Amino acid sequence: MSYKVTEDGDISIVHLDGEIDMDVTEKAKEIIMPLIEAKNEVHLNLKEVQYMDSSGISVLIESHQKANEMGKKVILKDISKSVLKVIMMAKLEQILNLG
Amino acid sequence: MVALRQISEQRDFVVSSASLKDVRSFSREVFEKVNIDQDLKDELVLAIAEAAQNIVKHAYQGEDTDDKMEIKISLNNGELEIGFFDKGRPVDEKNVRHRKIDDVKPGGLGTFFIQQIMDAVVFKEGEKPWINHLILTKKINY
Repeated sequence: MSYKVTEDGDISIVHLDGEIDMDVTEKAKEIIMPLIEAKNEVHLNLKEVQYMDSSGISVLIESHQKANEMGKKVILKDISKSVLKVIMMAKLEQILNLG
Repeated sequence: MVALRQISEQRDFVVSSASLKDVRSFSREVFEKVNIDQDLKDELVLAIAEAAQNIVKHAYQGEDTDDKMEIKISLNNGELEIGFFDKGRPVDEKNVRHRKIDDVKPGGLGTFFIQQIMDAVVFKEGEKPWINHLILTKKINY
């Protein structure tokens, strides 16, 4: 997994790339969680994520819940077909913010 | 390339989260030889990777080890069987359950995915030298 963070005012945009599995979840959390603390809104751009497993989905849930607790927002953007399929399999399409 | 109707391939992997990408590569290589649609291939790769992840997480509780797990993918007359063999802690089937899907929290989804994708999930005691033997099966139409 690789990533790039860009800023747009009070929004951080994290562009994730590659495969997100158990091996990279800690790294993903280290990237995303401080941004949630620092900004009002974090966008996770998942266009280039070709694979995500249950560990990756856990990172999305954790990010969403942390943002909610802090009165902030995490929005999933440009979700790739394969990631959307896993989100729907987990029945999270109504829970997570899909933008 | 001629699509195969019978397959039996196995490979060993070090029990580690770092091996999961190799598990996926192996699975993709095997399913490339079978004439099934890409969505189903992706689902099967996910189920296999989730089962391998469970071995790392639960049978070995994330501990570093040099132990290997073995994954065997067999297809015969439309019956896909995927076997997982490991030498970790014995799995008590009673403790293998996914969380309630409407109880949204991180974790507990891997087993749910496996059950969604596969027709059957069977835990057996492994024959020596293995401790655990997990069998996932699915009828494949091709």
